Amino acid sequence: MKHFVMVRLFAIAALFASLSVQANTDGDLWQVLQKTAVAAHALSYQGIFYYQAGEKAQPVQITHLFNGSGEFSRNVVLDNSPREVFSLGRDLVIFNPKNEKIIIEKRHGQNMFPAILPTNLDAIKENYSLRAGEPERVAGRAAQMLFLEPKDSLRYSYQFWIDTEYGLLLKSVMFNSRNEALESIAFNQLALMDTLDLDWFQPKIDNKKSYVMEDEVATIADNGVSTGWTLKGLPAGFRKVDQMIRMVHGKTLPVTHLIFSDGLASVSLFIEPITKNIKPRVGHKLVGSTSFYASVTDGYQVTVVGEVPEVTVAQIANAVVFKK
Amino acid sequence: MNEQISALLDGEMAIEDAAHIFTAVQSSKQAAEAWSQYHLIGDAMRGDAILSAQFKQKLMQKIEMEATVLAPNAALVSQVAEVKRRSKTPVVWSVAASFAAVMVVGWMVLHQQSQSGSELAPVEVALAVGTQDGAIDQGIPAEYLNAHHASAPSVSSYYIQNASYKE
Repeated sequence: MKHFVMVRLFAIAALFASLSVQANTDGDLWQVLQKTAVAAHALSYQGIFYYQAGEKAQPVQITHLFNGSGEFSRNVVLDNSPREVFSLGRDLVIFNPKNEKIIIEKRHGQNMFPAILPTNLDAIKENYSLRAGEPERVAGRAAQMLFLEPKDSLRYSYQFWIDTEYGLLLKSVMFNSRNEALESIAFNQLALMDTLDLDWFQPKIDNKKSYVMEDEVATIADNGVSTGWTLKGLPAGFRKVDQMIRMVHGKTLPVTHLIFSDGLASVSLFIEPITKNIKPRVGHKLVGSTSFYASVTDGYQVTVVGEVPEVTVAQIANAVVFKK
Repeated sequence: MNEQISALLDGEMAIEDAAHIFTAVQSSKQAAEAWSQYHLIGDAMRGDAILSAQFKQKLMQKIEMEATVLAPNAALVSQVAEVKRRSKTPVVWSVAASFAAVMVVGWMVLHQQSQSGSELAPVEVALAVGTQDGAIDQGIPAEYLNAHHASAPSVSSYYIQNASYKE
């Protein structure tokens, strides 16, 4: 069985190797990006990458294994209090040291580097165009550079460096419209793994600390049949991908939470009735790549947060129309 | 010992054959740690449905009713099997494929250790995690940022520690 899986892995590797990255036409470039989206899931690799945003830079050690049926990964964020992030498919568990405790957090379906692209690129094709750049070396590997540029001012642009041999994303930089880098993630060292061992797939347990589950925020799926409001004039290319009713820290009443995506960037919209003891919030803010916009309409607080330009969060907030 | 626990959790060892493990776990600190490690991952990955308070309570009651817990009886095993059958969670999690075995071993260990006055601290579960109130991260309110990061895919939220965890 093990042997069989190994053969399959090598077959996948060979597939990527045969994709000689001399793509020039538009279709070929999208093909390269498609392989990149798949490679992050289908290959087994380990390495260290740096995440950088503003002044902050963070080394992260990654081990990722695909054994033919399941996808396992461990990310260790190497700062003063190393956090371990384990994922199995789209389920994620984070062991997060906080003072004398380790908080265990659960998450679902997150796009972690290098798997930041969805395997279905249709939404991205609608909203971005792709252009080839010059070949460069990243983490000692030959890479092809691609520019992913938005067709409007509602989203950021990206620059991708893709391993010429294996198709894996080696480096990704996000830029705003003034071409300032907002966020950069790049492998510093990288190696493919040819093992199926999972002995690394377990947390380092510190016996001196107690482990506690994060208090899970209650969320209820929302069928989207809203009573008091509708959405009109959403920014182009953003589609609602999720809707729920949740408790938000510090709020007594549940908040409606909608999530929009253009394929790469995500935006959250929160709608809640304004209660007497809570001060309404109005304003906008941009911190790094994250935009925030708050407004008050017809007795409701509307709040939008997302990794998009400010104009986009404002447009989403203004798309909420309350029925009279 | 760890290999044996792992084998039991992975379903490679019949639970009926594992009585010696329960005994050993009771007396061995190292084995108890190994258990708590697997238990934590299992808990975290499996979600709440099968970890409902009711289930734990029932299982505890059941265990307390048994005079001898070292050999799990048929009723207990079948109850656990029933819970396992009803749960919709995938069974691919490698370190602990058999949730039922984890629960049986786990609760027996806790139960026996507390009885014998041993020092293995029970794992705290579901303790509220406080977050700072008000504006943080130079202006974006933490409660909305946290909710956004918890539910919407965002690369940055893992690599830069969220301000709400800084104290």
